[in-house]
Amino acid sequence: MTVSEIILQLVMAFAGSVGFTILFRLRRQLIIPASLGGCLSWGIYLLAHLHYNIFFACLIASAFAALYSELLARIRKAPVTLFFISAVIPLIPGSTLYYTMSYAVQRNWEKAGEYGNMTLQYAFAIAVGISLIWALFSMRQKIRKGDDMKMDKKDRT
Amino acid sequence: MELTDREMNHLLHALLDLGETMLISGAEINRVEDTLIRLGMAYGARKMNVFVITSSIVITMAFPEELEVTQTRRILDCAGNDFTRLEQLNHLSRTCCREQYSVAEFQQKIDEIRNEPVSDWPLFTGSMLGTFSFAIFFGGTVWDGIIAAGFAVAICFLQKYMRRICPNTMVFNLLTAFLIGLGITLLAGAVPGLHSDKIMIGDIMLLIPGIAMTNAIRDVLVGDTISGAMRLIESLLWAGSLACGFMISMWILGGAVR
Repeated sequence: MTVSEIILQLVMAFAGSVGFTILFRLRRQLIIPASLGGCLSWGIYLLAHLHYNIFFACLIASAFAALYSELLARIRKAPVTLFFISAVIPLIPGSTLYYTMSYAVQRNWEKAGEYGNMTLQYAFAIAVGISLIWALFSMRQKIRKGDDMKMDKKDRT
Repeated sequence: MELTDREMNHLLHALLDLGETMLISGAEINRVEDTLIRLGMAYGARKMNVFVITSSIVITMAFPEELEVTQTRRILDCAGNDFTRLEQLNHLSRTCCREQYSVAEFQQKIDEIRNEPVSDWPLFTGSMLGTFSFAIFFGGTVWDGIIAAGFAVAICFLQKYMRRICPNTMVFNLLTAFLIGLGITLLAGAVPGLHSDKIMIGDIMLLIPGIAMTNAIRDVLVGDTISGAMRLIESLLWAGSLACGFMISMWILGGAVR
């Protein structure tokens, strides 16, 4: 991939994320920071893909997307989902899903299997990446809120 | 806060309205459960039993003196995303926990958010920008992007008018994918220089339930197994019907179109 191709992809990842934030009616002040997440996570994917296979590269990128949205949600005091969706959208395997179907129609089962396998790897890697970060954050939250929880229990019983 | 029997019923109704609107605006299951529990406790419940899945909400509020009230709500369509509304509801529930609105006032504030009219321009501009960018992102030319944006407008119209008459999302996805696939393949065949695969990929990004799928897997891993499994199976069926729709259109037009 040439440098200009990479830059084009990053710009388009950003613009695409902006499109989806508009579609989902995100508040205007949050559109730019949220969409930057999509651009950055695609950059991280490309970087990671230099050394790792697509599964690990995608895992790292989606973990980054989750981390980015958790931090942004804390700074901007808004629900995490708002930022997460635009950050992860460039990683969603739309193209491999398409080629899986396309090769299946042409009865090229070998290629169809290859692309189907890739689609599943992407989907699974995204899920594992975000779950790792979310598990860490929810544990941290529980440790911090430990005292409140004890009081809650006392009230309830 | 002391509530009369009537007010308890109204409070539960308001809570269900809030939970329902959060769900259909794209909130995660445990966010909805968490919010409802907090609000119930703020209104003086001794214990809140809240059970949320993507198709139903059940709340039993236990008040002091052995008094318990239960209401349920069936959720029919739970696949939207409306972040403005979600943020407003989030804000409302926070201030309500702090400032203790009366039940009538609380219901009124929820209704204001629920009934706020939504204009169409975010749907159209967002879809167009999204498909344009992703068609180029996956390797298309600028022209591919423009055509993809054009078909995105068609998808928006289908979503606005055809969705109502479709029995469910699966049928809708199948039909939409079929019609869009047909249109793109025909156009790309007639106009040289267009790449039908890139245009379709751009438009697939709009229809693919990728977000529902990641949410589903997350729900399972967080421990909301029922919701997660439901949403996962739903989104797999949606993706499957999408694929079938595109495949049928390719088959009809001669198969090997790339």
